[in-house]
Amino acid sequence: MKRTALARLGVGLVAFALTATTAACTKKSDADTGDTAGRMNPEQMKVALVPGGSHPYFQPWKDAGAKAKADFKLGDVTYNETAGWDQTKQNDVLKSLAAQGYNAFGIFGVSPDNINSTFEDLKRQGYPVASLASCPAGDVNKADFCLSTDVELAAYKAAKAAIDAMGGQGNLVHLTGNKVDSNTQRRIKGVEKAVAETGGKVVLLQNVTDIDKDLQSAQKAVADLLAAKGNQIQAIVNTAYNPSVASAEGVKQAKLAIKVIAIDDDKTILDGIRDGSVAGTVLQNPVGQAYVGSYALSKLAGGCTMSQPGVIIDSGSFVVTKANVDGYEADRSAKTDELKKEFDATYLTCR
Amino acid sequence: MTTATTPPAAPPAPPAAVAGTRSRTLPFWANPRLGLVIVIVVLVALFSSLTPAFLDPRLTLAPLQADISVYAVVGLAQLAVLSLGHMNMAVGRMAALSTFAMGLAYDRLGVPLLVGLAVGLAVGAAIGALAGLVIARTGVNSFVVTLALDFGLLGLVTILYTRATDGVAFAVKPAGLAELRFDTFADYCLGEVCGPRVPLVVPFALVAALAVGLLFRSARLGREILMTGANPVAAQLSGIPTHRRVVAAHALSGLLAALAGFLLAANNGAFSANIGESFLLPSFLAPVLGGTLLAGGAVSVLGTVLGATLTQVIYKGLNLLQFSLEDLKLYIGLVLLAALSLDRMRAVLAERRAVSSS
Repeated sequence: MKRTALARLGVGLVAFALTATTAACTKKSDADTGDTAGRMNPEQMKVALVPGGSHPYFQPWKDAGAKAKADFKLGDVTYNETAGWDQTKQNDVLKSLAAQGYNAFGIFGVSPDNINSTFEDLKRQGYPVASLASCPAGDVNKADFCLSTDVELAAYKAAKAAIDAMGGQGNLVHLTGNKVDSNTQRRIKGVEKAVAETGGKVVLLQNVTDIDKDLQSAQKAVADLLAAKGNQIQAIVNTAYNPSVASAEGVKQAKLAIKVIAIDDDKTILDGIRDGSVAGTVLQNPVGQAYVGSYALSKLAGGCTMSQPGVIIDSGSFVVTKANVDGYEADRSAKTDELKKEFDATYLTCR
Repeated sequence: MTTATTPPAAPPAPPAAVAGTRSRTLPFWANPRLGLVIVIVVLVALFSSLTPAFLDPRLTLAPLQADISVYAVVGLAQLAVLSLGHMNMAVGRMAALSTFAMGLAYDRLGVPLLVGLAVGLAVGAAIGALAGLVIARTGVNSFVVTLALDFGLLGLVTILYTRATDGVAFAVKPAGLAELRFDTFADYCLGEVCGPRVPLVVPFALVAALAVGLLFRSARLGREILMTGANPVAAQLSGIPTHRRVVAAHALSGLLAALAGFLLAANNGAFSANIGESFLLPSFLAPVLGGTLLAGGAVSVLGTVLGATLTQVIYKGLNLLQFSLEDLKLYIGLVLLAALSLDRMRAVLAERRAVSSS
C-alpha cells in the first residue's frame, strides 16, 4: 500500500469515527434489551453459576446446582469456572453463556470493586442476576440480591474463637488473601474489632496478606512466619482457604503450641480439629448460596421482584470445634432451609 | 503491512525481513498474513457450525471486536519495542499506572473523557521513555530493565490505588464511558441509516494500528528504529541517533500500553488496579503469530492485528463450546500450535515452489 493511500484510509477512518459520534447522528432511544423480559416457566430457565475461577470453595456449587435443577425443575443449571480470576475473562465468559441461551446468572465477581459494571451490563439485557459468595465493594449492589457470607462477621467470629482458644491474652497473627480486594479489607476490620474488644490483652502482631493464590505460596509464607516469630505467637486466625491448610500443617509439623483457627472444611482441617492440632474452623455455606441463589433466580425470572432490590443477605457462618465437628452439617442444612423460607417470606414479592 | 529493514551484514535471512525480495519470487499465498486470515476464516466457519451462538451479533461478535481491539493494541505496544529486538516486560503495569492517572484525572479534576485519555497516554509515554532511557544509557538488557520496572510498578500501583481510592478502583464514571462500553455504531443513526454493529472502542484501535503502520512504513523515525533494531552498530555509523531511537520506541510502547489500558477500562467499565494483569503473554503472542521477529528489524502491524484476532476467536469459540478450564487451556495451546505449524508448512511449500521455478 502506498503512503498516500494509507494516509487517505487513516483520514477516512478518523472522519468516519468523528462523523458517527457527532451531534448530527441521533442515538436510538433505548439500549438493547434482551428477550428474557417477562415471565418464564422454570423449564425455560437456564441458570449459570459462575465463580471467579477454580477454587476448592466453589466445588459444592456443582452438586448444589444439580440439586436445584432437579428440585425446582429448571431447564438447566451449569457451572463455569473458566474465568481464571480475571474480571475481563469473567465478563467474556458471562457474555458467552448468555449467547448460549443462559438467562439467569449467579456470579462470584472476581473484582468486587468493578463487578457492579458487569451486573449492570447483564441487567440491561433483562437477565436476573445474583451476586453469590461475595458482594460488590462499597454500599451499592447492582445485582438483584447478594447472598454471601458476611465476611467481616465471619472474620470477627474466627478471631473471637482464636482469642478464646489462646486464653484471652497473647499475640495473634491474621493470615488472609489479596490485599487489594475490598473483602480482605473487611476481614481485617473484623479481626481488628475482636482484638480491640480485649482491651490490649491480645496484640495483633501482623496481617499477612496476598497468600491465598495457591497452596505453595501460603506454605512458604507460613514457614517464614513460624521461623521468624513462631515462639512469640499464641494463635493464628485464618480468613482464607490456602493459608488455613498451610498453617494447620505448618504448626503441626513444627510442634509449636500455637492455636490455629482455620476457615472452611478441607479434610486436613477437619482431621486437625479431631486430633487437636487445629483449635477450630469457621465454615461458610457454599451449598446454600448456590442452591437458594438458583431458587431465587428462578422466582425472579418467573415474575417475582425483589422487595428491596440489591439487598445483602448473610448466607451464614458457623464456628466448628472438636465439640461439634461431627454434627455441623445439620446446622448448615438448617440455615439453607431457613434462607429459602426467608426469600419466600421477606425478600421476594410475588403476585 | 509488513515493514522491515535488511541488515547490512548477512545474518540468516529472517522470514519477514526479506518480504520485499520474496514477494517477487514467491507465490501470493506465501504471505504469512494470508495464512493467518485462512486459519481465522476456517476457525470462524468451524465454530459457527458447531454453535450458532458464535454469530450472535450482540452477545458474541460485538464483544469479540472489543476484545480484539484491546489485545491488538497490547500487541502493538510490544511490537514497538520488538522492532528494536527489545522486550517490554512491564507492558501490563505501564497500562495499570496510566489508567490510574486517567482515573485520578476523572475523579479529582473532573476532566472530559478524551482529556483524561490524553493524560494517561502522556504518563504511559513518559514511563516508557524512562525505561528506554535507562536501557540506552546503561546498556543493560531491556528484559532486565523492564522486569525490574514491572516489579516496581506493581508495588507503586497498589500503593497509589490504596491511597487514592476506597478499594482498588475509581468509582467515577466520566461522561461517555458508558457509551464507549455499551454502544455500537448501530445505535447511532443519520435519518434511517444506522451504522454497523461495531463497538465504539474499535476506531481507537484502528487509528492506533494505522498510525503505527505508517510510522514504521513511511516515517523516517520508524525506519530508523527498525534500522537500529536490525543492526545498532551499522545504524550508529550511518548517523542515526540510536539512543534516542531506543527511547522513542519504548515511549511508543508505553503510550500504546496506556491506550490498551484505557480500552480495557472502557470495556470493563472501571479504572481499577488489576488492569493490565493479563497483558504480558498476549502482548508477545499477537506480534509473533503475525510474523514480527523477536530479533528486531522487522515488524508486521497487520500480522499483529490478525494474531490478536486469531487468539480471541479461539478463546471465544472454545468458551462458547463450554470447554472446562483445563481443556480450554490445553486446546488453546493445541490450536495455536496447529495454526503455527500449518503456517510454517505453507511457507516451506512456497519456498520450495519458488526454488523449483527459478
